[in-house]
Amino acid sequence: MRPLDLAKRLRRDAAFEPAALERGKAVLMAAIRQAAEPRRRPTIIPQVPYQDIGAALTFLDRAFGFREIRTSRLVSGDGVIHHALVEFGDGVIGIGTQGAHGAISPRTGGGTSQYLSVHVEDVDAHYRRALTAGARIASEPHNEGSVRAYEALDLEGHRWRFLHQPTLETR
Amino acid sequence: MSAPPDAEVIGRSLVEPEAFGLIYDRHAATLLRFLGRRVGAEVAEALIGELFRIAFERRTTFDVSRASALPWLYGIGANLLLKHRRAEARRLRASARLAADEAPTRRASAGALDARLLFPRVADAIDALPDEERAALLLFAWEDLSYQGVAEVLALPIGTVRSRLNRARTQLREQLEPSGKKRERPR
Repeated sequence: MRPLDLAKRLRRDAAFEPAALERGKAVLMAAIRQAAEPRRRPTIIPQVPYQDIGAALTFLDRAFGFREIRTSRLVSGDGVIHHALVEFGDGVIGIGTQGAHGAISPRTGGGTSQYLSVHVEDVDAHYRRALTAGARIASEPHNEGSVRAYEALDLEGHRWRFLHQPTLETR
Repeated sequence: MSAPPDAEVIGRSLVEPEAFGLIYDRHAATLLRFLGRRVGAEVAEALIGELFRIAFERRTTFDVSRASALPWLYGIGANLLLKHRRAEARRLRASARLAADEAPTRRASAGALDARLLFPRVADAIDALPDEERAALLLFAWEDLSYQGVAEVLALPIGTVRSRLNRARTQLREQLEPSGKKRERPR
């Protein structure tokens, strides 16, 4: 038998799950929607310095639900991440290498010069998620009039205040 | 009204991105089968969305003088497959076992190797081909593409496709000689 005919004898069709094509289309359509969305950036973007950007991105996602904007990552040739943007609702922050632009991580500096306020829909659910992911709680959930809030320290000591204010709509 | 050709749909998708969904509807089944033959159902199912996502992101590079997007999509798929060599080798070995079991007689032809030895050797020989030769050979042998079709998929002159297929055939023949003569080749 000729080599080509032998090769043809190894042709086998795979047995697919019926929904395989639909799942593939969902992947495509999600990418299309993302591309079609106009990229809006808030006018002010706080830049938050970390010693280890990769660890910070993982932690902020797991603990607080901050999603990295996939196209934003700056990586050097040796694979080290230098900067990335993460978003939550309609807010965006930059996660940058400490030392750049004179900004220092609390893990290095020993204290913070600011804290960040984040509006969430369900403070207690957010608190449980952060706790499970290993955030240090600086202030347990509590009420301040109609506002419910808690405060947490992230893996490098930045302080975050999560709050729900009924008169504000969050996205 | 006749359906607009792929080139027109892709052109439209530059301003109306959702239009690209129609390219998926037209060709995804063909490409899923193509990927499945090469790496099996599970990996193919994971790759099909990825293939079209890449195509969507590169749609400005599609040559609109071609009516059908299929060769271009095959090309993107062929590239994706290079990252899944282990799954491909696994599938080749499994297919070889099935082919051996199905062989009507134990010997594929008079004087040839026993099917149980022969087909695993065919699989190993295909697996050992350089990537560009394996890609050309399997597009030709499994996807029933013409030389011209393979040339379009791999964006190569037809003469290059012809010589790659010839080299692939020669190597298969050498690997399959019952004497077991094997040429050491750099990878």
